[in-house]
Amino acid sequence: MIHRILTIVSLLLLSLTWCPSIAHGQSIQPTIQRVQQRTVKVFGAGGIRRLHAYSTGFVVSRQGHVATVWSHVLDTEELTVVLADGRKVRAKVLGAEPQLDLAVLELQDKELDLPAWDLEADVSDAGPGTRVLGFSNMFRVATGDEMVSVLHGVVAAKAPLATRRGAFESSYEGTAFIVDAVTNNPGAGGGVLVTRAGRLLGMIGKELRNSESNTWVNYAVPISELKQPIQQIIAGKYRARQRDPDETNAVARFRPLQFGIVLVPDVLFRTPAFIDGVQPGSAAARAGLQPDDLILFINGDLVQSCRVFKQSLGRIDAGTVLKLTVRRGDKLLPVELPVPETPDTPETPKKPEKPEKPATAGDTK
Amino acid sequence: MSLWLTIVLVPSVSLGQQPAANLESLEEQAFKEASAVVAPSVVRIQTVGGLDRVGRVLTGTAATTGVVVSADGYVISSAFNFASRPASVLVTLADGRRFPAKIIANDWSRMLTLLKIEAEGLSVPRVAPRDGFRVGQWAIAMGRTYESPLPNLSVGIISALDRIWGRALQTDAKISPANYGGPLVDIRGQVIGVLVPLSQRQAGRTAGVEWYDSGIGFAIPMADILGTLPRLKTGTDLLPGLMGITLRAGNVYASAAIIDRVRFNSPAEKAGLQPGDVIANVDGQPIRRLVQVRNVLGNKYAGDTISVVVRRGEESVEQKIQLIGKLEPYTPTFLGILPARRKQGEAATGVVVRGILPESPAAMAMIRPGDTVVQLDDTPVTDSAGLFDAISRRRVGADVTVHVDRNGARQKISAKLAVLPTQVPAVLESQIIAAPDPKPADLPTIGRFNKDLAGHDNNFWGFVPETYNPAHGYGLVVWIHPGSDTMEADIYDLWKPICEQRGLILVGPRAKELAGWNLNEAGFIEALVKEMQQKYNIDDQRIVLHGYSNGCRFAYHLAFKYRTLFRGVAASSEPLKVTPPENRPDLRLQFFLSCGDKDNLYRRVQQTRGRLAAMKFPVTLSTEPGLGHEYPTLPVLDEIGRWIDLLDRI
Repeated sequence: MIHRILTIVSLLLLSLTWCPSIAHGQSIQPTIQRVQQRTVKVFGAGGIRRLHAYSTGFVVSRQGHVATVWSHVLDTEELTVVLADGRKVRAKVLGAEPQLDLAVLELQDKELDLPAWDLEADVSDAGPGTRVLGFSNMFRVATGDEMVSVLHGVVAAKAPLATRRGAFESSYEGTAFIVDAVTNNPGAGGGVLVTRAGRLLGMIGKELRNSESNTWVNYAVPISELKQPIQQIIAGKYRARQRDPDETNAVARFRPLQFGIVLVPDVLFRTPAFIDGVQPGSAAARAGLQPDDLILFINGDLVQSCRVFKQSLGRIDAGTVLKLTVRRGDKLLPVELPVPETPDTPETPKKPEKPEKPATAGDTK
Repeated sequence: MSLWLTIVLVPSVSLGQQPAANLESLEEQAFKEASAVVAPSVVRIQTVGGLDRVGRVLTGTAATTGVVVSADGYVISSAFNFASRPASVLVTLADGRRFPAKIIANDWSRMLTLLKIEAEGLSVPRVAPRDGFRVGQWAIAMGRTYESPLPNLSVGIISALDRIWGRALQTDAKISPANYGGPLVDIRGQVIGVLVPLSQRQAGRTAGVEWYDSGIGFAIPMADILGTLPRLKTGTDLLPGLMGITLRAGNVYASAAIIDRVRFNSPAEKAGLQPGDVIANVDGQPIRRLVQVRNVLGNKYAGDTISVVVRRGEESVEQKIQLIGKLEPYTPTFLGILPARRKQGEAATGVVVRGILPESPAAMAMIRPGDTVVQLDDTPVTDSAGLFDAISRRRVGADVTVHVDRNGARQKISAKLAVLPTQVPAVLESQIIAAPDPKPADLPTIGRFNKDLAGHDNNFWGFVPETYNPAHGYGLVVWIHPGSDTMEADIYDLWKPICEQRGLILVGPRAKELAGWNLNEAGFIEALVKEMQQKYNIDDQRIVLHGYSNGCRFAYHLAFKYRTLFRGVAASSEPLKVTPPENRPDLRLQFFLSCGDKDNLYRRVQQTRGRLAAMKFPVTLSTEPGLGHEYPTLPVLDEIGRWIDLLDRI
């Protein structure tokens, strides 16, 4: 492998010093043309309170169906789509899947016969390091009949957007392409992420802040997640998914004391979940937990504070096994505690059926 | 070298036939393979507990990244990742194994943290040689912050070398909390450096974070990190090395490095460096411009010894200087005498002792009022400025020999210098100045007056005791009124008797806008003081600023801006909101704070006292029981009068 890398290094050195722009330009020119023909600008509601009134979309049928991001922009009767050639067409929302941040528009002119993405043949997958291009109507830089903007970068990661609840203020929680280019700007939502060969990877999502690291994250929702809903909406057979029950209103089912765990007083914003005491004869005592143990993981999820521990405990299912990892001195110890059959509060409403999780991307080629 | 050339040239033959797209996919493959080579050494770091906010930056709870630096469990990461001072740190290796980690030490110059986990046989990445770095070469930033078996990547190039005073190299790959602490890797899978947020303008754990994902990112060369690793492993934090000089201001890229000041008690002072010395060479590197000094010193730590060559006039002096991490603030020294204030025209033949402060070194050494101090150790003393200078440049606890003339005989008295006390005695006899007799014809304005200052839009009022005698030096009180109220009538009534008793002249400059002072009015105050010095016999050791409420902000500003002019600040009912400059032996500045204990600002005024005391400024706090946010009452003003009368104590 080293030899191969060396070869590439030497190629790179040459390409960089001699003719990088030509080498780049030639290879992606057809891709850019092809993608721009299939990308549209969407104009709708907004323009007040710093809400932008524009976004991006991509053509998914020759008859004029456009997939775009589900946002406030679509909340109007006066929806206009500007095609790649500058034609303005009225559009209406045909259907939407708010959990995927997806909406499908139907253009009001039936005679268009547009170049469109084939969601079976044109789609690809990519891992970290794959070079990608992003196409979008970001910041409405493209005015009149101008084409949308192109950005380049690599796939930084293909990973779930939400590691735990509350990390992102996003409705989409599945696996996403995370990009090292700043693709997610105002109006960029609904644009596309493609490989340099022009294969479709994903739809650029809304602007999103990662509340765990307090930074903006640039991502696209894989087409493999969107393909089925798009096709079903076009066919008129789609039924929107049931929303998760609002977690914040959920009744806490279990409390630490039910397991015999007494936590240290929760005085800081992030008080570490140290065990203050263990009630004799309790499940915690039987599992061997001791005062001063620091609870680090609950069922595999990191516990960063007493607050997070209590919240996580409130969500576990009755009759299951509670797996904790504690730090005692310099050792990590796994322990298991049986979860009682009956929750803490008898009048806790029965948990609604969890909606089926979307299939993970990766197989579609 | 020749082998390298061959490797480079052989494929170039086939390049002509390679389609460009193929080159691109080879590059892409190289990114992936380079990161795959390093991936086993890239670890995920999670923290538990800790602060939610450091300064104005919200600390994240997201996973961050580290790089294995030795097979026996040492991991290097960015200090940013531990800014929240977490209670517990967890490291997850590339193979999924999880370990609790100990923070071993921090490098506060390069903003790195060394962790240790109890693991063996870890994968250590290959390190790119420092002399091989080229601007423009590929640089792949790696992190392990997402829940994915593969590290996250961002691809860019090296944008510059030797940034942030030589500590870091710069890259245009996207650097953010998603990869702080992770490696920057070259296309051969060697670690160039470790990614950290840095800023040229600020120091601190979160400095530079505002540049995340901007195309401006920094990495500390791994080769440098390996050099300091043995020291970090011993568990001692590394601090940036300081020698205690400031360089004369100038164009950092053009001007020579001329020493402006040498800080008291610093390594530079102990090595004998002097103001005016021109730095010619540091550690074998010739210095021609200011910026080169910073670049060389930027890489030095406390404890490092450097060699410095300075040009002093015609001669060239070489010194070895051991740098330190923290410069100790200067503590003012004290002998305990009140010097007699010399009258105009009196010959300077020593310092006549007017009074001895109780329990002072002078009192214990039995120096008496009436003695004349003529020599301190080997330094002849002609006037009080000379004695003050000699005392202030010695350290607290130093033994000195005071030569005094007593009743015509010379005596040698030993004393041990103490810290300048800050309490104001309840009684202090005043030297009432008698009116001149006969009255000179050219006496300047006396009594209360209103005046304009030539060349300035502002005007001022003032009060000079009716008994003004130009043969004596007077203290000057510059009254800085609060916004929207000049308080002239009250101030005049309250201060007139104090001025007469303590030999003070009062001036009250008026802000241009009654609403309050604008910082650019400082020049007017300076001009006003100089005008007063010209017209009256003003004792330079007793020029003070007095402010109340928000007027104090301007008073503090003036005191710090004109260090050579003002010797004291008497601030009532207002905390200090800016950072004071360092305390200096040559420019003594004393503070008198007063505040009512019912004032909402009382706690913050107490904090101000603490801040100033920590910087070793002489500071007195007088608390008025039961008083709210109001101007001090007469007993406190009397105390201010005594404090002013003591400003010239030595």
